Amino acid sequence: MSFFTRVLTMKCKQALESERTYFYHAIFVSRFHQLPKLSSSQSLEVQNNSPAAAENKGEEMVADSGRAGELLKPTPHQLGRVKSLQEMPGPNTLYNLYEFFWKDGFGRIHEIQQKHTQEYGKIFKSHFGPQFVVSIADREMVAQVLRAEGRAPQRANMESWQEYRDLRGRAMGLISAEGEQWLKMRSVLRQKILKPKDVAVYSKGVNEVITDLIKRIHTLRSQEDDGETVTNVNNLFFKYSMEGVATILYECRLGCLENNVPQQTVEYIEALELMFSMFKTTMYAGAIPKWLRPLIPKPWREFCRSWDGLFKFSQIHVDNKLKAIQSQLDQGEVVNGGLLTYLLVSKELTLEEIYANMTEMLLAGVDTTSFTLSWATYLLAKHPEVQQRVYEEIVNKLGKDQVPVAHDVPKLPLIRAVLKETLRLYPVLPGNGRVTQKDLIIGGYLIPKGTQLALCHYTTSYSEENFSMANEFRPERWLRKDNLDRVDNFGSIPFGYGIRSCIGKRIAELEIHLALIQLLQNFEIKISSKTEPVNAKTHGLLTPGNSINVRFSDRK
Amino acid sequence: MAAPGPARLLRAAAASSRRWLFSASPAAGTRPGCGSAAAAVRAARLFSLSARAVLSSEDKITVHFINRDGDKLTAKGKPGDSLLDVVVDNNLDIDGFGACEGTLACSTCHLIFEDHIFEKLDAITDEEMDMLDLAYGLTETSRLGCQICLKKSMDDMTVRVPEAVADARQSVDMSKNS
Ligand code: HEM
Ligand code: FES
Repeated sequence: MSFFTRVLTMKCKQALESERTYFYHAIFVSRFHQLPKLSSSQSLEVQNNSPAAAENKGEEMVADSGRAGELLKPTPHQLGRVKSLQEMPGPNTLYNLYEFFWKDGFGRIHEIQQKHTQEYGKIFKSHFGPQFVVSIADREMVAQVLRAEGRAPQRANMESWQEYRDLRGRAMGLISAEGEQWLKMRSVLRQKILKPKDVAVYSKGVNEVITDLIKRIHTLRSQEDDGETVTNVNNLFFKYSMEGVATILYECRLGCLENNVPQQTVEYIEALELMFSMFKTTMYAGAIPKWLRPLIPKPWREFCRSWDGLFKFSQIHVDNKLKAIQSQLDQGEVVNGGLLTYLLVSKELTLEEIYANMTEMLLAGVDTTSFTLSWATYLLAKHPEVQQRVYEEIVNKLGKDQVPVAHDVPKLPLIRAVLKETLRLYPVLPGNGRVTQKDLIIGGYLIPKGTQLALCHYTTSYSEENFSMANEFRPERWLRKDNLDRVDNFGSIPFGYGIRSCIGKRIAELEIHLALIQLLQNFEIKISSKTEPVNAKTHGLLTPGNSINVRFSDRK
Repeated sequence: MAAPGPARLLRAAAASSRRWLFSASPAAGTRPGCGSAAAAVRAARLFSLSARAVLSSEDKITVHFINRDGDKLTAKGKPGDSLLDVVVDNNLDIDGFGACEGTLACSTCHLIFEDHIFEKLDAITDEEMDMLDLAYGLTETSRLGCQICLKKSMDDMTVRVPEAVADARQSVDMSKNS
């Protein structure tokens, strides 16, 4: 059983059980086989007070913590009495095990997050075996944590990722890298794909993909009896997102949305799906202590095999690009290019770093976007009155058939609001992680540096305090009366906040805004006889629990 | 692990990168087969140094920053520079300022403007508004410094850095004072 206990050491309790699991799993799964220790981030000093130890020592730790350089010395009379972790409420370890293993808690992690908040308050502690986690489900406290971040924030321990890379001589990418290495890569990449105006130029490429998406919808619905229903829209949007991200990252088309998908792409989609499905077992890869691997070798083997497949695919595309550039050069042509071309030419990243980042961005960029589009479609079908208002805005401000580009989006505040509201109700990442890099006082508790925090975004998104009528789909809540109107929104930060937030945010927004506009220009999205109620399930990411089936009726 | 081929190619490509030209406009669009390029590359890194014109001091715009501790920092910048550029280029010591390097991901470049300047600032984008929503100590004349570009009319303006976030850092300060 100790094996399972160890497996339970997850951040913000992301799912083990999953057919499709994502890099995010790994983000949340950390330090399975050891007590929390310090990150490798260079800015940190060695400390002897591990959070776990602090928890045991209680008050003693508080008194102790004033030693190291940056550590604060709380002055109780000024701040109120600072409480120790020992005093923090939280679910009992055994009960946690029961809830997760016997009651399929993994698929309901987002709900358990809410339940625990009700029972223990907005800040509570949990033990998953040796892993100690402090969960935070309050928008002010979340803001406080993220605003206190240093130069290179750490999400969670990524040891198993590091081990694979070491084994294969591969580099770490943005998701997994830490400290100065992360900062170096982030500085290069953010200057290319994070500024809205740099991403706006991809409108044309994305629109070409949308044309294929719409063609594909015509094909799919013609295969149904009613001539309108598309079943499992996520399948469709998965291909759209993959094609979209490849257009931007690899500067090429994969052909995912064609009727006959090219063999290489079929193989890749299969590899990717395999990767996702295998993560269920590969989760254990990081969980199983090395010394146990000879006894339980499969998870680690599969973990490596999945990564091999992903790296192989991106390497093929990166190498193709490199050859294309070379031949252009040989012929004395002018080299024109996007992100990948820039990276290959500028040499700011090594070739291995380019492979790693292309791999990780593809992994991070596909399901996130496709789930969000699926949910948006579902919500719009369920709320025809909202859909009508959005459609009218499009017709009035843009035109019935005008193909939108990034610069048109500001004219359509409701489209932006639909995306925000969709992500509030279905935050793809229902929780996120941070390892504290200095001592913090949060909610009256002293949280020693090196503590794993779980930021419970799902809970804050559904809290009435933050959003009135929180269970309802009301995109209008995001509209501003004017440019001076501020919408306080730390309760819902689906892309995170700060220097380690999602680097693909603007790409995802572009892909989703443009797709939604064109979908609504072409179709009225309606409930079909095949539409069933769909609940969210946590499979690493917050996913539709069953297939979303809706009708795409032609606009008259 | 890198295949020797591409590595060699990369070296070759980089060696000859000086004679490369990048078009600043989006290329023809993408086709299956990766043959063509997707979008513009701004070869900023390659060319920015030489492109930096030397301006005479009259062309420069003076900006005063009131730091968190009340200290006044005065610096100059060129028209078109962002306030983040001014802080970085002049090495102004404003703790944590501009963490995301102007990529609209952090709101640490939050600044408070004088009314008459604020009214004449360029229109705010949706993306800036979203990030501003998350800034600490918002006021009615708040904007993100990385999005504000200097104009002649701003000469001699004063901007205020909002008070520090009430986190551990503040506690440290308190203990220093006591
Ligand atoms: C609706 C779509 C998406 C959502 C909701 C989403 C959400 C997130 C979140 C919450 C994080 C963690 C941020 C943090 O820890 O503060 C993240 C990280 C990341 N995302 Fe996204 N994402 C989306 C799409 C994309 C796309 C399209 C890409 C690729 C271009 C991408 C690439 C990444 C990468 C590389 C990271 C790690 C960044 C780092 O550690 O520096 N994401 N994403
Ligand atoms: S520097 Fe991060 S938003 Fe301005």
